[in-house]
Amino acid sequence: MRVGLSHLILLLLVPLISLAGCEQPQVEFVFSKKTNELMPEAAKPVKKALVEQFGNPFALTQFEGLPTDFGDIQGAVKSVEATGKDQPSIRIQVTGLTDAYHKLQGLPLEWTSGKGQGHVSRIKEYYFETGTIVVDKSAEIDPQPGDTFLVECVRLQFGRDLYNRHCMHCHGMSGEGTGPTSRYLNPPPRDFRLGIYKYTSTKPTSKAQVDDLGRTVKEGIAGTYMPSFKLLTDDEVSAIVNYVIWLSIRGETEKKLVDELFLDYSQKTLAERTSEEGGETRKEVEEELKEYMELDFPDTLEFATSSVSEAWEEANLEDALVIPGTPRVADTPESRERGRLLYLSQKTKCASCHGPQGRGNGTATQDFWTNPATNEKYSNRGLHDIWGNQLPPRDLHRGIYRGGRRPIDTYRRLFAGIKGTPMPAFGGSLSDEELWDMVNYVMSLPYAGNR
Amino acid sequence: MGKGWCLFFLFWPVAAVASCAMAPLVGWSFPYDNAQAASNLGMRIDGLFYLILIITAIVFVGTQAVLVYALWRGVNNREPRASHVHGNHKLELIWSIIPGAILLFLAIYQMNIWADFRIKKYFPEAAVKAPIAEITARQFEWRFRYPAIGKILQQKPQSDDLYSVNELHVPFGKPVMIQLRSDDVQHSFFMPALRIKQDALPGLQIPVWFEANKPGTYDLVCAELCGWGHYKMKAHVIVEPEDEYQTYLKNLTQQQFYDGLGKVAATEIGTESEATEK
Repeated sequence: MRVGLSHLILLLLVPLISLAGCEQPQVEFVFSKKTNELMPEAAKPVKKALVEQFGNPFALTQFEGLPTDFGDIQGAVKSVEATGKDQPSIRIQVTGLTDAYHKLQGLPLEWTSGKGQGHVSRIKEYYFETGTIVVDKSAEIDPQPGDTFLVECVRLQFGRDLYNRHCMHCHGMSGEGTGPTSRYLNPPPRDFRLGIYKYTSTKPTSKAQVDDLGRTVKEGIAGTYMPSFKLLTDDEVSAIVNYVIWLSIRGETEKKLVDELFLDYSQKTLAERTSEEGGETRKEVEEELKEYMELDFPDTLEFATSSVSEAWEEANLEDALVIPGTPRVADTPESRERGRLLYLSQKTKCASCHGPQGRGNGTATQDFWTNPATNEKYSNRGLHDIWGNQLPPRDLHRGIYRGGRRPIDTYRRLFAGIKGTPMPAFGGSLSDEELWDMVNYVMSLPYAGNR
Repeated sequence: MGKGWCLFFLFWPVAAVASCAMAPLVGWSFPYDNAQAASNLGMRIDGLFYLILIITAIVFVGTQAVLVYALWRGVNNREPRASHVHGNHKLELIWSIIPGAILLFLAIYQMNIWADFRIKKYFPEAAVKAPIAEITARQFEWRFRYPAIGKILQQKPQSDDLYSVNELHVPFGKPVMIQLRSDDVQHSFFMPALRIKQDALPGLQIPVWFEANKPGTYDLVCAELCGWGHYKMKAHVIVEPEDEYQTYLKNLTQQQFYDGLGKVAATEIGTESEATEK
């Protein structure tokens, strides 16, 4: 058989193609739609600030002041392998990392003694078995045996790996809710970037507690595609929650920065401002933006980060929790009847959405509602949530409780509402007893005909 | 070259027997605890498996031996011409009747085990009388509904039913029955250690019984490709002594009727939430 040159090339291509497939793709966190609608000069510093504070999925960054468990590990240099002059990296043998998570590649490494003190290197390669770390050579660092360092974001990286394995294919790499399987799901996976979670144990204005998210991961959300991850250990669940909250903080910081800029510097506004009616030149707008960036942007960034962090910290305090003032009112027919009357009353207006029989078919589902974000009417009839998805009011007869079926769960749904949805909070307007009557009534509905 | 082929065909039965013999030693066998099934029914099913394995092994080794023998004779035989044979009635009868008899034997021999496993009439009576839970398979998790303590599982959900997800507790020392349902597509209830496998079909409620022969935590996985998340559809079945099982149910009751006040999961006595239930 004659083997032509083309055959040879084809034969060589096969291993080449398969080798190329092994390379780790360079994945980056995505930016929100609004960020991308800013004029380029405004979007650039926002993106830069986010990358500086949060890094990218495979190059996480530690940022002080966030309520996130980054997980530092102290290590020391045992020996430095001799490398040639022209080699771009240094291989060092280290001690102290034996108990650490075995994947440290991509993490920042801060030198705490020696010549490079205070300088941060990235771990290019890490060999768990031999305790070898490879970092880029640079003029600032010169590791010597005995030098100490901190490997940062170890815990965050552990959470990221679990997240990427279990959550990412629905919730997306950046927690934006558009993973590969998301398009098949209804209700769609949550976009974490607003930092709003529906099923919480906290007051109406508070964020979710760490335990709330942990419970959602462990128990799943009945009636949706969120499955239970009960076979994960507590440690793994807390690492995932830690990472998810960090993704939320990133998204919220981005939103705050963009909201500051969007009114004046979006591409649309730019077009208006530089049109004949606006009468400004692009140069003038750029000058104004430049001034803002120099004078106000650093403060805005700092404020955005700190306010978001504080909100997450406050949610985990004792007084953020909704605790009923009285124990559950006895689940008697009288109590249920009081609950039913409240349900139908003008005070609660439950029936306007959930329907007079609790079938989720109230009159509100036939109206066209206004989107509070854009002040325009939705194109579909019915209620919508803050993420812009159509949201049918729950049919209370189905016996499926997304946020948990304990009486306290229903009580908290009534007390604090469901965040991000039109379900209002009744915490101030109804007394504890009234709330419990409503709980008793609502929780009796699925079993009305089952005896 | 002829001898090469002899060696080739000799190699496979030898390799098959050798790999079967060493399989338990290197962990290629049934999973869990030295390949022994964790239920008596499972051990009987394993017995069937081994019986079939032995029969097929004898047939496989035997036919290969005949093949090698025939090849070997052909290699050493210098006769120039082959002779034509127009069928051999006796031989054909033998090779039809023997496999037929084996199949018939297997079909009859396994009937008892099949009936005990699948036909509700032959289920242990104690298990049928009080099914311990209804299991709903859904994409991609297992949801469990137990009756309230001291009550019988009803067809429709009751207000005092107990719920859990991906963690089924069952008492040790007696056969238990569950009602298997599916919420969406076909799933399969598979407990490999107990050799229990039953498809779950939407619209049907299928009874399944099992009895573990020692307490422990067993895997429950889905054995029917049910969608993209099939791989993550796994749960634990925890077989525990009766008193621990009762404690579990009590704790579950406390947790489920928790009203946000007082302590949950205190091990003794009913809680205030139980009291308010009555």
